[in-house]
Amino acid sequence: MRNYIAVVFDNSSKAYEALHALWQLDHEDEITVHGTAVVHRDNLGQFQVDTKETHPALATAVGVGIGALLGALAGPAGAAIGAGGGAAAGAAAGGVSGLVADAARSDARHQAGAETGFVLGDGQSALIADVSEDWTTPIDDKMRSLGGTVYRRARSAVEGDVWYDEGYYPYGYYLYPYEYVPPYARYYDY
Amino acid sequence: MGRHESIKLKDSTKIKDALDQAREAAQELHGRISDAAAKRGGAAKADLESISQKAKATVESVKASMGAQHEATKKHLTDAVTNLEAAHKHAAEGLKSSGQAFETKIRQTLADARAGVDEISEAIAAKRSAQSKKK
Repeated sequence: MRNYIAVVFDNSSKAYEALHALWQLDHEDEITVHGTAVVHRDNLGQFQVDTKETHPALATAVGVGIGALLGALAGPAGAAIGAGGGAAAGAAAGGVSGLVADAARSDARHQAGAETGFVLGDGQSALIADVSEDWTTPIDDKMRSLGGTVYRRARSAVEGDVWYDEGYYPYGYYLYPYEYVPPYARYYDY
Repeated sequence: MGRHESIKLKDSTKIKDALDQAREAAQELHGRISDAAAKRGGAAKADLESISQKAKATVESVKASMGAQHEATKKHLTDAVTNLEAAHKHAAEGLKSSGQAFETKIRQTLADARAGVDEISEAIAAKRSAQSKKK
């Protein structure tokens, strides 16, 4: 079964440890990982998605996609605004260009923060992933051992949401299809 | 890939089959395209030249992995080939374009590569699921 998961941790180093552990489960053939990203919410409630430095248009697209995914994981109320609010959530990624895009959408950021707050609290980090799993035990056990809380939603359920826009690529396409750790990741903790 | 330090390769203790190798090739292709998207002008174009070649090689890698697979797996790999051929086509077109058209081609190439990786991963998931049911 193909699922979207969000695993919430109290700090970013644990989220990166979980990122590696998830890809290791893939390597052991326990699950298949289609894409991953690490997101943070600082103590002021602002989101950041760890991405490569990239073109501003791509940064915004990633923000919209991952923001929509965060909204979908948050449930109906979150998903209704996730795509719009997500532009800010992800546009804060990595580069200066992203921060400009973020500033232009500060109203949407506030809204996204309110709607997805129960998934990712202030000061927390989360591993977001698109996975195929025959059973949930491998991920649940591994993430629990790392201190994470797993939220899970079937991809088919997300695509069945009335607000799901088929004009988008599948939300998971905005996640990295390999284990990406930004060079600056070791320099911060939330 | 421009920033090797940012992508951790899998531990090498596992013997990789053709499907694993095809997936890694497609993942690396996606990484190269996303790195190229961050560059401007001549540097991006120079990268696109090697991306176009890499896309073509990845298509061959996927085709080579199709041999003894189940029908469901083959279907995903056939779709992966279609996506990766589109990536090759868009990268080649990008080499002949400039300005906004060039940026559009890079974005199309990236989207094609992403879809290609996803289909290969779906093929691997189908194969693993079938194997786990046999156990």
